[in-house]
Amino acid sequence: MNVKLNDMKHNDEIEKKVEEVLSSLDGIKRAQPQPWLFSRIKARLAREQAEEQTVWGALGSFLSKPAVAIASLCVILLFNGILLFNQPAETPATIIAAQSEQSGSDSESYIASSSSFDFENLVQP
Amino acid sequence: MDEWTLIEQLKKGDEAAFRTIVDTWQDMVYNAALGIVQNAEDAEDIAQEVFVQVYHSVGSFKGDSKFSTWLYRIAVTKSLDHVRRKRRKKRFGFVRSLFGEDSEKPIDAPDFHHPGVSMEQKENAATLFKAINLLPENQRVAFTLHKLEGLSYQEVSDIMKTTVSSVESLMHRAKSNLQKKLEDYYKDKT
Repeated sequence: MNVKLNDMKHNDEIEKKVEEVLSSLDGIKRAQPQPWLFSRIKARLAREQAEEQTVWGALGSFLSKPAVAIASLCVILLFNGILLFNQPAETPATIIAAQSEQSGSDSESYIASSSSFDFENLVQP
Repeated sequence: MDEWTLIEQLKKGDEAAFRTIVDTWQDMVYNAALGIVQNAEDAEDIAQEVFVQVYHSVGSFKGDSKFSTWLYRIAVTKSLDHVRRKRRKKRFGFVRSLFGEDSEKPIDAPDFHHPGVSMEQKENAATLFKAINLLPENQRVAFTLHKLEGLSYQEVSDIMKTTVSSVESLMHRAKSNLQKKLEDYYKDKT
């Protein structure tokens, strides 16, 4: 019985304390920053502008603009699309035929170029 | 000079107008950031960032909301980003310490004492701020703006881009969560 009474008393105390803590911000005053906030903001802006004046900084800040980044992405995608849709429809067989034809002509031209070497004008040591 | 004239002048790059804007709203921005990040230096950094963003993007302010609401939104977003970054850093530090890369253990945040709290409430307020820190982001923002900035539910809902009833619900949940956390804290303590 005594333990139960003690528990109740203890819980009441906790409840009271919690209420006290919850109302501890009533009537709180606004905190103020340091007096030189404006000077710091100005210094930060000046630093940013100095960084942007360098070529790479300017390029970086230009490319990082959302409008520029999205526009660049659209242009790349557009070019990819154009290249993809403008390719002639070739079957694998014609591609292989074209490839073998091309490799044949490559070897012929190699042979032709090696045979047309100017032996007569070759300077002998 | 009224709010709109100041904004129009800042859009033209007038430095005096920018100075007046900073002077007028710096306490509000700083106090809102301080309530969320609970660190004076970080709040000052955030206040600077807010006004730098205002300087750059004042052109995009169309006047759909009050200027102070727009400022609060920037301050809250930047403060929450800061808290998330700090938590990520803390988690990363903990993982690194597990792998023995860094022998330093993560340090628990020290008690935060808001300078606007009266001396006799100092300890209680520090305990409450610790509990506020454990709330989910939305509840934390609503509670901080309402309790620390003294804003009405309507103003809080404008800043959070939600309805008044959502703010009421957030506040109700925030209060009951805080109550539970504080009860647990004091039960563990005794």
